[in-house]
Amino acid sequence: MAAYLKGESIDEASALAVAAELLGRARLPVIGGLLTDIAGAEAALALAERLGGVIDHDAGDALSRGARLMREAGGCPASFGEVRNRADLVVLLGDAPLKRDPGIVLELFPPEEGLPRPGDNPRELVVLGAGKVRAGGEVPVTAIPLGNRDLPTLIAMLAAAIAGRGPRNKTRAADAKIAALAERLRGAAFPVFVYSPSDLDEPVMHVVLDMVRELCVTIRAATFTLAAPGNGDGVNLCSAWTCGLPVRTRFVDGLPVHDPWLYATARLIDSGETDALLWVDALEAEAASPPRGVPTVLLAGNETQKGAADIVIQVASAARDHDAELYMPRISGIGMIEAAQPNRDRPTVAETLDRIAGLIAKPESRWC
Amino acid sequence: MVLIRLQGGRVIDPAHGRDAIGDVFIDNGRIAGPPEPGRKPDETYDVSGKIVMAGAVDIHSHIAGSNVTMARLLMPELPALAAEKGVPIAPTPAAWSAHATGIRYAEMGYTTVIEPAMIPTHAIEAQRELSRIPIIDVGGLAILGNDDFTLGMLRDRAGSSEIEDSVAWTLQQSKCLGLKVINAGGSAAFKFNARTFDLDDVVPAYGVTSRMIVQALQRAVTSLGVPHPVHVHCNNLGVAGNVDTAIATMEAAEGLPMHLAHIQFYGYGEEGPKGISSAAPRLAEAIKRYPNISVDIGQVLFGQTMTLSADILRQFDGRLGAKPRKWEIIQDEGNGTGLVPYKYRSKNVVNALQWAIGLEIMLLAEDLWRVLFSTDHPNGALFVRYPEIIHLLMDRDERARWLERVPEEARELCNLPALTRELSLSEIAIVTRAGPARVLGLSDRGHLGRGAVGDIAVYSDQADKTAMFGNADFVFKNGELVVRGGDVVKVTWGQAFQVAPGFDAAIQRKVARFYDRYYGVNPSSFRVPGSIAGRPDRFQTVPCLN
Repeated sequence: MAAYLKGESIDEASALAVAAELLGRARLPVIGGLLTDIAGAEAALALAERLGGVIDHDAGDALSRGARLMREAGGCPASFGEVRNRADLVVLLGDAPLKRDPGIVLELFPPEEGLPRPGDNPRELVVLGAGKVRAGGEVPVTAIPLGNRDLPTLIAMLAAAIAGRGPRNKTRAADAKIAALAERLRGAAFPVFVYSPSDLDEPVMHVVLDMVRELCVTIRAATFTLAAPGNGDGVNLCSAWTCGLPVRTRFVDGLPVHDPWLYATARLIDSGETDALLWVDALEAEAASPPRGVPTVLLAGNETQKGAADIVIQVASAARDHDAELYMPRISGIGMIEAAQPNRDRPTVAETLDRIAGLIAKPESRWC
Repeated sequence: MVLIRLQGGRVIDPAHGRDAIGDVFIDNGRIAGPPEPGRKPDETYDVSGKIVMAGAVDIHSHIAGSNVTMARLLMPELPALAAEKGVPIAPTPAAWSAHATGIRYAEMGYTTVIEPAMIPTHAIEAQRELSRIPIIDVGGLAILGNDDFTLGMLRDRAGSSEIEDSVAWTLQQSKCLGLKVINAGGSAAFKFNARTFDLDDVVPAYGVTSRMIVQALQRAVTSLGVPHPVHVHCNNLGVAGNVDTAIATMEAAEGLPMHLAHIQFYGYGEEGPKGISSAAPRLAEAIKRYPNISVDIGQVLFGQTMTLSADILRQFDGRLGAKPRKWEIIQDEGNGTGLVPYKYRSKNVVNALQWAIGLEIMLLAEDLWRVLFSTDHPNGALFVRYPEIIHLLMDRDERARWLERVPEEARELCNLPALTRELSLSEIAIVTRAGPARVLGLSDRGHLGRGAVGDIAVYSDQADKTAMFGNADFVFKNGELVVRGGDVVKVTWGQAFQVAPGFDAAIQRKVARFYDRYYGVNPSSFRVPGSIAGRPDRFQTVPCLN
């Protein structure tokens, strides 16, 4: 295991000891980033609980928006497989889904025929709020450009039209397109709205859900959200079964307290509330550098600069060096990804966090 | 080799017809007879005046998996609201956690719990969560019957051996103890916008009925020799008049073993001004008539809970009654899941009837070995409230106190006021221990015979059964003392049960082609590895019967 203190190479035991010392004496340590597998997330939660610290993820903003929507209203999601096989009308909300996952249209519209699906409409794709779209594949695509409006406005107009409220002025070409789309949605057998929670504000997510629920009264309808990067969904689920709450949770006397604003890593660093950060960046084909401005321990699975943080500990990268349990969009759940290049030279994130935790004496809570 | 003696307690072991003062010995983690002369116990516990039973076995409790964790995210505040009158049970969201689940079950004297709805494509998460529940042993039931692979086989009139191979492959892949069928065909029909689905309704595009699906899977389970019969959640859950569906399903079993889950939710007639009434006597009579059938109750208690079910069609319908008004309908391959928070109210006639019907079914049962205790946690009530139900079953005065609080109309529509039966401790041991263990095919538990696992719960005998069963004086798990004075004193880690029926390798290739084509994945990505818990010997294989 390679490790560095202020850019200078140090031995493994010293690196772990210095990391434990930094975190152990911190007023409010944050464990963030968390580009890691489920085992890494479990170890991170155990360490946060031991430290009385905060657990967060690099995609915490998007995850928190989703979690708040869930807690306030619920949801109506479909799995990747259901959308791919059964949706007749897929509506991308904005161009963000295509930007974040350029292959998504080919994935959702494979050339082979899918499973039996309701209705006999041909499958089609609509992109709301985007001009020319290069979607790939053979599916018919309709693009409805923003015009002089923004995406939330278009979504709200569409929702209102579905609920039978306008748009009033159908002679305007843009409004007529919204009215026509609402009509097609009502005539669809299984329409699905696809969006990226990283790119849609929370009130708009509520509008989308209300729109789906309106459609559900007579037909089947759903949302499909792009998975958070960096195994964010996996880490968030793991947090929920481990302590009952999603990420952006702090452990106070062993009990979890969740607040998506208060316990956001960036805010805690900006405000000076946190005095130590442990950042995990150890996932095959993904990367997220730690934020600056606070003494930091970096567990790095990728090649990184020796001085990228106060303490840098090189660890294995999940799904590259070792098999890993990760959120897999294709099963809309946690699956097992085999190691691309199995290599046991470096310790895993879970092993490293467990060893750090072992150097920090705290009584274990009965809860987590 | 540690020898433990529990001295002088009232030992209640209905599997061996025992209800007498005596000693129980645990030798090296297993129940043993008295030691040879000269061998002294290493530890002796004076349990005189106390009740000694086998550790309790829960046949149906949703404690792990993606559906449970989505419920945690939908309503993290549930544990703080769960009792009637808003009395918190454990005033922290951490009470929903996997860890707290095992701790609380152990405190009540439970040592084995079955998760009854494991989604095969999400089995890794479910088994991972189960592995983080301390102390208790667990097992999962894998869901089939609404998945396109099974429906495709039935549509194509596949032979019974292919269906058996597919079931065996699924059980091995998910490392499950048995098979669950939930509103067979109903979720598949929901995908075609159906909003009701009955036993002889046909799944669109597949041309198969619910009856055909249930029977095919039941026969496969029986033929494979899986000890626990197919575990069926019938059609028409919660619908007035659905007692006919439950009885028709019992008939459809055609004499082969079948377990019907949370039967209270099918105990509804259509009489009375609200068009719903107790059909518990009819159900009790039917259960008596079909000795191949076992059931668990799915008892309801008043208070806040969450309904959580892979019967997506029923949950979609139930969304309108959500309290608080939030709900999640997850449309997945196979069944999908519906999460609808719900508050059972003592002043609501229908809720009061549901409460009464569950108790009636148990109190009317002639053969309690086949009528087992459950709340379908968290659907009827959270598992932490089991002691309140035991109290109601054992104490007619407690029932009378509650009957006074329900609307008169409900009292008139049910039979509970006339039932004077009070279950004995032996009968409680049957419905919470010996019965579920037997139906699950777990022959080494639920009783105190020699060689049984050293899982024992010791309670202080007291009139307040809620207090008595809420916290055990002692609990031993595999012969280790884990609870003393109602609190966990040692956190141990249990095993997960699975079956491992063989299958023809051809099914693997066929399933792999199916998932590759329709979902773009290889089934190896959702196969549960033996190492999932990070502990050796996590899985224990229960032998099949052939």
